Amino acid sequence: MHAQAHAATLVELKDGRIRAFWFSGSKEGAPDVEIHSAVFDPAQGAWGAEQKITDRERTQHALQRYVAKLGNPVAGRAADGSLWLYYVTVSLGGWAGSSITATRSTDEGETWAAPRRIVASPFLNISTLVRNAPIQYDDGTLGFPVYHEFISKFGELLRLDLQGAILDKQRLTPGGTGALQPVLLPLNKNEATILMRYSGPPPHRALRVTTADAGRHWTVPEKTALPNPDSALSAIVLPDGRMLAALNDIEEGRDELSLMVSADRGQTWKTVYQLEDQRGRPLDQTAYMGRAARLLAMSDAKVAKAPASEQKEFQESLRQQACAPQGCRYEFSYPFLLQTRRGDFHLVYTWNRTFIKHVQFTREWLDRQMERAK
Amino acid sequence: MIHFTDATGLLGCALAIVVIASRALGALRVPPVHLRWGLAAIFIGVLVPLGGLPLAGYVRGATGDLSVASLVLLAAALLGSLRGWPAPSGRSQLLLLIVIAAAGFYPLALGWGDYDPYRLGYGSPWFLAYLLGLALLSAMKGFPVIAFTIALSVLAWSAGWCESTNLWDYLLDPLVSAYAAAAIITQGIRKIRAARAIKP
Repeated sequence: MHAQAHAATLVELKDGRIRAFWFSGSKEGAPDVEIHSAVFDPAQGAWGAEQKITDRERTQHALQRYVAKLGNPVAGRAADGSLWLYYVTVSLGGWAGSSITATRSTDEGETWAAPRRIVASPFLNISTLVRNAPIQYDDGTLGFPVYHEFISKFGELLRLDLQGAILDKQRLTPGGTGALQPVLLPLNKNEATILMRYSGPPPHRALRVTTADAGRHWTVPEKTALPNPDSALSAIVLPDGRMLAALNDIEEGRDELSLMVSADRGQTWKTVYQLEDQRGRPLDQTAYMGRAARLLAMSDAKVAKAPASEQKEFQESLRQQACAPQGCRYEFSYPFLLQTRRGDFHLVYTWNRTFIKHVQFTREWLDRQMERAK
Repeated sequence: MIHFTDATGLLGCALAIVVIASRALGALRVPPVHLRWGLAAIFIGVLVPLGGLPLAGYVRGATGDLSVASLVLLAAALLGSLRGWPAPSGRSQLLLLIVIAAAGFYPLALGWGDYDPYRLGYGSPWFLAYLLGLALLSAMKGFPVIAFTIALSVLAWSAGWCESTNLWDYLLDPLVSAYAAAAIITQGIRKIRAARAIKP
């Protein structure tokens, strides 16, 4: 099996450890895709064992309806302290046929209740997808940024109660704006910014809407200065009000990934650190595999010192996921940023569809990078 | 233990399968006694799990949960097949209302423009007041099936009959909308043909 790993997301546990979720299978959209999870212990600096959270059969049985495939997972913390995992399920067609399925854990993700479907669309409940995390409102409900893909693409904001039922839904952008995967960035009690992936015609720039009245009204979507090659982006608000984003800082391709900061609520951005850069023409397979092997050797010990059989499997997976007849292309995509209560940062992203890469940094390191970028 | 809304969703899909089967068996001129037993067997059969999921579950995966409007029309059709009951008074008007509502609702709800009427279904008092007025008007005009369908939809929504917490999903679904549109067009063609046939 040439396993693909993609769409990782993080949540901080009550004891300060970090739990990651992602989907894994032979390829995106395959029936064998499962939702996996692992826990990172910052004190040990190590990841625990990978565990399977759910698969197509389990979800299908719990939902009492046919499920063809699973997709993006994202986790959120409810006001009662329970952990929720939302993930995309498709019964019919491609990703435009998605709906959201939710499951709850009261033991920090060790065990999960039977999943339930969230009905968010009137047309056979198709085409509501998730990518970025919900936030808790003051009244204990959750604000959950989601997006719609069927016929036209637009961002939406759901408000969920403690049981995961929808109380309200708002359209963030008119249909046809090509807005996907909204990231909700609350600045204070009344003001918030939402950044969105853009899948429309050029220029390829991330979209932005803002509110000044606690989400009652949102501005007309506008293109930001952030390049966006129709790929997922992640962002958080720093304690001083600045925004930190992880994204492909290019208008085409996904072979570059950067950390960027905005001091003016998302209007202008500055690169503070380039995480990956393999820009250039597609490589032939031998050159790509050679470079990938060197990158793997410099990676985490679990990967770099894996048994030869596993190494071979990684290599084969890389070839399968990144190489086409016209050449091999690197892909660094689907970043997800998390700031812990202690102030540290964790970033995960898809590394050539074969691994989920984890980067940890401190506030001091980020401050130094921001100083250098000035 | 099966969840309540899964049970109601599966029963709705099983009812739809039985009604389609009743039409097929009726066309084959199956005797009424055999028809009843046959439909009862089909109803049970499609709810029996095969490999973890009943046939109705596979249908539900594609169709979603059926609205109350669908269930009312399906129940009326089944009673017509089994008991010979006539179509309920106001059925044509109900179909027309479904077509008009769907034509206005779905394009907007699926992203045409920035107004989303689906939002009204999360308990808007104005929407509920509008439905109450429409139900009363329908009853007064002699279309009790419209008033009955609206009242039953609101009741089912209050009771949490379906997975959805949105009232629109109890009033309408794409399948009943497509069926209503096809039925209205068929009725129109028949009327035109009949009018032409009468002419000397």
